[in-house]
Amino acid sequence: MSNGLIPQSLLLNQPARKKRVLAGRWYEYRDAFILVAPALIIFSIFVIYPVINTIQLSFYEYGLTDPNLEFVGFQNYEQIFQDSVFWRALRNNGIILVGSVLVQVGGGVILAAVLSRGIRWGKTFFRTLHFAPVMMSTVAVGVLWQLIYDPGVGILNAIIKAFGLRPPSQGWLGDPNLVMFAILAAACWQYTGYVMTIVLAGMESVPGELYEASALDGANEVQNFFYITLPVSRNVIIAAILITMIGAVKVFDIVYVLTRGGPANSSQVIGTYIYYNAFTVNQAGYASAIAVVLLVIAIGFGALQLRFTRQI
Amino acid sequence: MKKTISKDGFATGLTYILLSAYSIVIILPALWMVFSSLKKMLELFTAPFSPPVEPQWINFANAWSAGISRYLFNSLIITSVSVLLIVVVSAMAAYAFARLRFPFRVPLYLLLIVGFAIPVHTTLIPLYRTLNSANLLNTYPGVIGPYVAFGIPFSVLLLYAFFVQFPSEIEDAARIDGCDTWQMVIRIVLPLSLPAMSSVAIFQTVFLWNEFSVALITLSDDAMRTIPLGLTTFQGQWTTNWPSLLAAVTLASIPLLLIFIILQRQFINSLAGFSK
Repeated sequence: MSNGLIPQSLLLNQPARKKRVLAGRWYEYRDAFILVAPALIIFSIFVIYPVINTIQLSFYEYGLTDPNLEFVGFQNYEQIFQDSVFWRALRNNGIILVGSVLVQVGGGVILAAVLSRGIRWGKTFFRTLHFAPVMMSTVAVGVLWQLIYDPGVGILNAIIKAFGLRPPSQGWLGDPNLVMFAILAAACWQYTGYVMTIVLAGMESVPGELYEASALDGANEVQNFFYITLPVSRNVIIAAILITMIGAVKVFDIVYVLTRGGPANSSQVIGTYIYYNAFTVNQAGYASAIAVVLLVIAIGFGALQLRFTRQI
Repeated sequence: MKKTISKDGFATGLTYILLSAYSIVIILPALWMVFSSLKKMLELFTAPFSPPVEPQWINFANAWSAGISRYLFNSLIITSVSVLLIVVVSAMAAYAFARLRFPFRVPLYLLLIVGFAIPVHTTLIPLYRTLNSANLLNTYPGVIGPYVAFGIPFSVLLLYAFFVQFPSEIEDAARIDGCDTWQMVIRIVLPLSLPAMSSVAIFQTVFLWNEFSVALITLSDDAMRTIPLGLTTFQGQWTTNWPSLLAAVTLASIPLLLIFIILQRQFINSLAGFSK
């Protein structure tokens, strides 16, 4: 039966195997789509459709629940350019962005460096304690800090008076020049420990041999920090900066709870200004246009993050 | 620790001073919160720094009966159902993306991942209009739907990274033993990926337990409110009853803090380890 060179069974098997492979591939497609479908459907309904719909709706004028929309072209976008509150909100996002990067990442890197190199005991204790505020909701942090800043019962004014100083007369949250910094302080209280923990994870992967070698060269800890720790954990620090920046673009809860964007819109950020226009003064068309602007900014930062995390 | 700066006592001292200073910054507001939540209103003004003379547990009873119990229950239902759905749905999708070959695999994956960059505030208006016309405002599904959707991108990303590294030899062995895809997933892949999935679950639990924006537009009915939303209700109502308001904030913060202290390694790995 066999020709002696090629086993008969293998010859006979060729077409059958091909069929089985094709059938197998079809089953694989079927399984894959069954597996992917739920995520894709839920995501399409609650994210993709609303995003597309927001873009559409930004060309109309309407109230939040109005069934009738009035097409206005680019009018909402033109309004944005002339709206000083929008620019103020954008600037406030900028203040939070720069302030958060300086305080949270700056402070987080210093704390992480100290924790990873400098101490022998208490590391877990400090890390746990510094991370704990992340577990509180931003709303809880906001309510707490609103009372801390309160001119009547607030502990901050009590401390300042105890030092014989005079607290700001309009209150911390009532003074348009102070309010953004008061908000920033509350946000930093919650998130500096978070950034520290991210950076710490990166610094702990620095090989100990590097420090041993530098000790032989007689380097001190400050030199170690600048010549070893910082360069080696550069990628983690960049990731932390990007996470912090994206958080600043999306900021909403802390501002809403502390000030609702007040006094007189002075602490409005893009997020709260969208909410204000759509849900408070019922200008949903204008709010949609602002939402599109936010979307563009956020995608810009998202692309930046994708680029950098790919390198990591 | 390969080496510490023990040689240099001055630097060590400085290190502890720095860490302690920041610890005080963290502890002081929290301590003030707990002390004040146990005080009488008048004590807040007369003795702002001291511990309560006589703990006023009534403030906690007030907060509890004024709605915290109901808000806790809502948060528990909404968070647990959402997290369960996120993990199941994301793990299924991530497994397919990592392990199976099918048309449009890459574009579909990118479509899901791009959602990571989309701020929820860009979707609130259509979300509200849709939920309103579907009569889903003030319902659990109305808030769980968006929660699951916004949890998917990051979860798929993490689980995809896990499944890609998953040794295919184990799967091949299972196939040789005669398992089909489904048996293999349930008997082999699922048990082995529990750590990755619990990491995703922890991350989403913390995020959703504290979520505010979607809850704010979806749940206006007091009986449906979650913990963060309920706190803003108290904030509006108790403008002169600060001890009870702070008791509410304390009560609202306890559950996650407690779980965090018990499972802190897992929590820190889940919430802060993803940049590695």
